[in-house]
Formats: sequence, structure tokens, C-alpha cells
Amino acid sequence: MKVVTGVVGNDIHVVANRLIELSLHARGYEVFNLGVNTYLEEFFDAVVETGADVLMISSLNGEAEGWSREVKLLKSKYKNLDDLIMMIGGNLVVGSANAEDIIPKYKNYGFDIVCHQVDLNTGLDLLETFISDRKANDTNMKDRDIKESTE
Amino acid sequence: MSLLQEEREIILSNEYVDNFDFAEVAEFVTNASKDLFISHHFNRKNKMLVQPRGGFPTYKKQFALNEFFVHANVDVLPLTIDSNTRLNDYATAKKMLRLSEENDVDMLNGYPLVNHGYRTTRKMITHFNKPVSLRHGTPDARLLIETAIASGIFEIEGGPITYLLPYSKNFPLDKAFLYWKYVERVCANYSKLNEPINRESFGPLTATLVPPAITIVIQLLEMLLSLEEGVKSFSVSFSQTGSMNQDIVMGAVIKKLAKFYAEQINCSDAAIHLVYHQWMGAFPTNKDYAEQLINMSTVIASMVGADKIITKTREEASGIPTKEANAKTVANTQYTLGILNGLPNIVDEEEEEMLTLQVKAIMEAVFNDPADTLWRKVFNSIKNGVIDVPFSPHIINHNNMITIRDAKKNIRIIKRGNVPIPDRCYAYEKAQCDLTKDTTSIVNDIIHDIGIMQ
Repeated sequence: MKVVTGVVGNDIHVVANRLIELSLHARGYEVFNLGVNTYLEEFFDAVVETGADVLMISSLNGEAEGWSREVKLLKSKYKNLDDLIMMIGGNLVVGSANAEDIIPKYKNYGFDIVCHQVDLNTGLDLLETFISDRKANDTNMKDRDIKESTE
Repeated sequence: MSLLQEEREIILSNEYVDNFDFAEVAEFVTNASKDLFISHHFNRKNKMLVQPRGGFPTYKKQFALNEFFVHANVDVLPLTIDSNTRLNDYATAKKMLRLSEENDVDMLNGYPLVNHGYRTTRKMITHFNKPVSLRHGTPDARLLIETAIASGIFEIEGGPITYLLPYSKNFPLDKAFLYWKYVERVCANYSKLNEPINRESFGPLTATLVPPAITIVIQLLEMLLSLEEGVKSFSVSFSQTGSMNQDIVMGAVIKKLAKFYAEQINCSDAAIHLVYHQWMGAFPTNKDYAEQLINMSTVIASMVGADKIITKTREEASGIPTKEANAKTVANTQYTLGILNGLPNIVDEEEEEMLTLQVKAIMEAVFNDPADTLWRKVFNSIKNGVIDVPFSPHIINHNNMITIRDAKKNIRIIKRGNVPIPDRCYAYEKAQCDLTKDTTSIVNDIIHDIGIMQ
């Protein structure tokens, strides 16, 4: 599976970004790491260019909140991104807030998986669960389709 | 008109700049008090010099900070520059300075030197009559350095590699080399008038698991780039690694090799100094623990035999420190230095040999690059990964080197990437670590190793 990742906005905190890349590799993903200081357009361009299955955005200084408000609008300008798995993680607010408040907000911004101050491997496990759930769902749907068409 | 003078005029044609009177500046430098020159204090070598970090937007607050430092018995005053000036955005710096002055709230994370101008700043510097060190992080520092020297700031930190690779994603590295070449020449020219202007490289780099060999190579190369332009006083530096033994070994090797390579280019007349940075990684949020850490750094700096120590504060984990906290560290550090007597002499020959071999192999690979000038050789070496800085955000950096800590907390190279670490040294480095683990556990170890002081 292909993953595009990077740190959104003018955030230059690079340490976790490198570790995400290493960990994704270790879990067998093909990684396209755009590094720090990456703008939303660059993320979506890279997804189109690489044909990525997952877009994993991270933020340390909390700028993500400002940028994320534009995600849906921007994504709608690109074609064929409906199946893209959108994930975001890190410190998702400037200052502090509860995960219970933040997660619904970001889901509303268009993210499937939201990790606020979650340990790296826990976050990557969530991604794996999400992917296998979706596969199971797709298979069920297909089975139903086949069933329906044979009936 | 010389090319240097032409370049100078281009830099000065900028609406935010002082109207430079270079004849007057030259006269000022020629007659400036010897006390303003850190190179003069280094030569007298009475003790390790203590220098904090610090910069506030307004003249008033900077002046007050300096007063606190002087009361705390500081040896070298800092002048830390704000981030807008570092990116040559003088318009924003000007606006934020005015807001800071009018509202008594700091809207800048440092002193906007270009906007204050040299005439104003010089008053403060000559008033305190202490050497001042310019701390910034600017890839194009040409105007800043002209203003600094005209102000009476006779130590300039930075360099094309050490101020770019840790701080920037895509500022062109080749441009940084050329801009810094200008800085070196200006420093060299003013050095002829009085005591030499001291240049200092920024050894901590990303302060995140950078192996000693990479730090030393970059220190030596910035030193050579500076000396070849005529600079006569230079400080190499590094920050606390997390292992006392590794710090001591690094200090010994960098001193020997700095001398060796300066001689190779016939610059043995230049004075080379060693600067030690107190822990530059993630700090404990507990302020009492932070003080313990700072104290330990001071002890190690003494073991390393540093000529200057740059201090942190107990408020490191929580943002820009208050002047009180900042001055407190200076006083504490001076106290520790005063009572540290009868230090043992520790030599680890095997570690020194391994490190020396690594540094020499990388230096040789840089010199063997076919480019015609040293800066191009260095540029190419970074571009092709012969020099690779762990955790640099810059796009030119390869990021193929992986380092972890061994059981004694020494930083070890477990993946060398394109860096020509000799096979024997590579085997030695890896032999110190447990490499049976899978990548997930190694990543967890790295996370732990980065935060060891927290």
C-alpha cells in the first residue's frame, strides 16, 4: 500500500516525521514522505501523482487546525480521491484540549482516522484496523452483489 | 570598485537599513575597547567563559536583560536575533517591534538588530563593555553582520551548513555558502583593524542523535571555509551528547583535528577555541530537574576542557526564559565552575581512534570530490549523502543515516547510508548495540533516546 505523509503548514518539527517514515516502512508500506513545512495542495498533488491509498498528515505545533478547515473544499477539486484514506495525527490544537472535543471536529473536516497525542504505534495499528475493516466491508458488499445478481 | 564593495552596496540598498558610514565604522572598530573582543578574552584564558542565550524585541528590555546578566557575573553577553530578521523580513520585524514598544508585549522572539540599527545598538554594547556574541540562524546574514560589527558585536555565530540544515526545508544550500563567504570576508577585513573578530560554528545541529563524526566533520569544514577567507579566530562547538565519555572523547578529537586541518591549509596562525553547549535536546518540564541537568552539563564542559560554555535555563521546557531565570543560570554556572577543582584526566584511546578514523575518512571523501573549490566540494558531499545529518528537515539532506544509543548512552551509527564510515569503525559502532530488535522496537528506542533527559 502507498502512503503519502508529511507535516502540514509552516511547522518544521521533523523528528516524528522521520520516525513515521521508518515505522511505515517497517510495516510494509510504500512511503512518500514530503517532510516538514508541506502545504495541503502539495499533499493532494502527491496523492494523485503516486496513486496513494493513504494520506497521513501530521502536526506538532497545532497549525493543523487552521489548515484542516480547507481540506474538504480542496479535496473536492481533485477527481477520484473518494477512496483515499485520510488520517491526521500529532498535536491537533494550539494549546490544549480534550481528544473527545477534537476528534469529531476533525472527522467533520474530512478525516477518517484522527489521532490527538496518540502514541505512534497505536496510531499505525488504528490505520491497519481501518484498512482491514474496509476490506472486509468491500468483500461483504461484493458477496452481496454477486448474490443479488445470481438470484 | 571591488566585487565585495559592489555586493555591499546591493545589500545596503534596502529601505530598512541604517545609512552606513563605513569610514566611521572602521574608526570605531580600530579604537574599540579590547574588552569587547571575545578573542582578547580567549587569549588571556583565565577561566571558561560563561555565555547565556537571550534576546528581547525592544532596546529597553534588552538593556534590562543585560543588566541582569552583568549582575550575575556574565563573561559574554548574547544578542539573539528574532526569526523575521533571520529570514530577512525586515518589514514584519519593524511592525512587530513597534507593536512590542507600544503595547509592552513581546511580539518578537529576539532583538531585530537591523531595524534598531547600529548607532542605537552600539550605545548599549559600549555601555556594558562586555564581549557580545551574535546568535541568529540566518542563511543570508550579510546585512545583519555588517550591522553587528558596526554595533560592536565582535563574535558571530553560524555558518552555511550549521545554520541551514537544522532550520530550513528548502533554502538553497549553494546560496547559503556564497552568502556566508561574504560574512567571512567582512569578518576577516575588520579583524585587521584591532583584535580579531571571532567566528563560531553551531555544533549542536539538530541536537537529535547526531553522531560525533558528523558533528566534527561539519565543524572542521566550516572552520576551513572561514579560515581560507582570512578569519583569524574561530570556535568549533558541540553540545552535550548524553554520554560523558563520548563528550570527553569528542572534545579531545575535535581539538586535535581542528589544529591538524588548520595546519593543512597553512592557517596555523589562527586561534581555534572550543565551545560547549549545555544539553540542547528536550528538557525536563520539572524546573528543579532542569537545574540539575544544567549543573551536570557544566561539570562535563569542564571535563571536556571547553573555552566557553553556553547556558540553558530552568525554563527551557516552557518557552522563552525570563531575565531572572536566565541570569540565575549564569550565576549558578559560575558558582559550579568556581568549585570544580582537581578534575581527573580521562583518556579513552580506543574511542578516540575510532572517531578519528571516521572523521578522517569523511574529510578525505569531501576533499576528493572533483569540484574546484572547497565550498563546492562540501555542497556536493551533502548533496550526495557523504555528509548526512540525522533529523535535518532540509530536502538536500539524505536522511539515510540511522543512529541509536548503546547501553552506556553513547550515540552509535547503525545505518551509515552514503557516509563513508570505514568498515572497521562501522562494525565497532554496531557491535555496541543490540541489533536483533525489529524496526518497531528500534523506533521506540529512538523515541526514548531522544527524550532521555526528560
